[in-house]
Amino acid sequence: MTPASSVLLLTTLTGFGYGLLAWLGVFASARALPASPWFVPVAVVIGLAFASAGLLASTLHLGRPERAWRAFSQWRSSWLSREGVASMLTYPPAMAFAALWWLMGPGAIATRAVGLLAAILGMVTVFCTAMIYASLKPIRQWHNRHTAPDYLIFALFSGAVLLAALLGMWFGHVLIAGIVAVIAALIGAGAKLAYWRFIDAQSPLATLASATGLANFGMVKPLDQPHFTENYILREMGYQIARKHAARLRRIVLIMAFLLPALLALIATFGVLPAIAAPLAVVLAGAGLFIERWLFFAEATHVSALYYGRAA
Amino acid sequence: MTSLPQSLPGAKKLGLVIDLDTCVGCHACAVNCKEWNTGGHYAPLPDHAPYGAEPDGVWFNRIHSYEAEDSNCGGRTVNFPRSCLHCEQPQCVTVCPTGASYKRAEDGIVLVNTDICIGCKLCSWACPYGAREFDEDAGVMKKCTLCIDRIYNTSLPEAEREPACVATCPSRARHFGDLGDPESKVSKLVASRGGVDLMPELGYKPVNKYLPPRRAQIPTKPTEAPMRNGKGVGSALLNLVDRVLSR
Repeated sequence: MTPASSVLLLTTLTGFGYGLLAWLGVFASARALPASPWFVPVAVVIGLAFASAGLLASTLHLGRPERAWRAFSQWRSSWLSREGVASMLTYPPAMAFAALWWLMGPGAIATRAVGLLAAILGMVTVFCTAMIYASLKPIRQWHNRHTAPDYLIFALFSGAVLLAALLGMWFGHVLIAGIVAVIAALIGAGAKLAYWRFIDAQSPLATLASATGLANFGMVKPLDQPHFTENYILREMGYQIARKHAARLRRIVLIMAFLLPALLALIATFGVLPAIAAPLAVVLAGAGLFIERWLFFAEATHVSALYYGRAA
Repeated sequence: MTSLPQSLPGAKKLGLVIDLDTCVGCHACAVNCKEWNTGGHYAPLPDHAPYGAEPDGVWFNRIHSYEAEDSNCGGRTVNFPRSCLHCEQPQCVTVCPTGASYKRAEDGIVLVNTDICIGCKLCSWACPYGAREFDEDAGVMKKCTLCIDRIYNTSLPEAEREPACVATCPSRARHFGDLGDPESKVSKLVASRGGVDLMPELGYKPVNKYLPPRRAQIPTKPTEAPMRNGKGVGSALLNLVDRVLSR
């Protein structure tokens, strides 16, 4: 699959935004955040800004962005529509959470309950995003049991790193968020390794023989292509990354997205330059997860490419 | 509405039957389809640099050629027209966030309402057959309509109310009809010729069927069948010659 930068931005940025909302809600309900009246309102705005930037970026790849509002209508059948609806439903409780924190204080039951609701709806949005990919039957690297949990794990990881950075810059210490970020990074790295092991061992969904109905003949090979230059199908779904590039990028993802941010979050937890180490972890995790998302597309193959003699 | 219509027993399932035995790979179906549809329901179909070095455009038919290898009779060329199969379980419809992509309850034709399509391209990702092509000029998805503007077109003579690809095929390799009716001509053709689904393992239940090509009866290696089993003087003579030469 050809990586579309607007979709890569969407999933990476919404991961940071909704991940941050999730941890704010969870930490607030556990009363594990400093009781500063401004911290949660500002952090919620930052989280929503990340998510909104991602959602806006996603409209860039539409052929008719002015009609984007129509995407809210088919939530009964379409995960893309559900993603849109869930993202809109997250705004009111998230903003109410910020307002209640400021008006009624961190300890109020209402504040903590609404914070938790915003956290859950944010994660529901991430889950819907993941299901857009996980539901696509023609793409074996997406249509599997790894995709949905992985998106949730990466969102929670990026949210934890972002929360640690905000705490580090605001209060000079990252509190429990640092440890959470380290654990999430290790789980994220493990999940990604398990995913790669899984897709490397997968067998193709179909063959050129089954795609053409000629399985009884034995071998089927492409002879003449139907056209001389690439068409929409090949541009969109025919992209396939060279194996050696994929191997190198996988190492970069492991180090940049997970291991270095984990290390930085760890030293920030021990009080070593938390206002610098934790934000640096956010930058590295962001760049690393963007490459991770790029690979998620580039390593995915679509069965329609079989017709052109490519692997799927 | 992108939820699928409930399929009732005996419901009409309009579709194509494509005969891979007689298709000569002339691309006439693709050309006539383009010709009709660039002035039809989804007009215009874009064409960029059609006479340039890198022509590019939207086509609803793509004609591949494959070599199918038989261990006894060598290879044979199979020309393979590829278009929308108007599946019974079309995921291109259910993934659509706007309701632009839909399957008609009355005849099973899968269509796009280009007035509300937002051009997210998700339907093309959901199609295993590569049947949908994006119109970059209009910013919307386009696809085979089964020539909905011909088959129901009462201003055309009745004999012409069939898809453009079927009407033009010089080797009569394309057939159009109701595959939901077991007594229809196309259903009987599929039954008698052993018509198959493409990629049945993906579960889309395509309506269009493909008739497999015949296998050649001529082995590439000459047979060295002994004549001993034959009867008569000629056979006995050949038998003797065989024995002498086999010493």
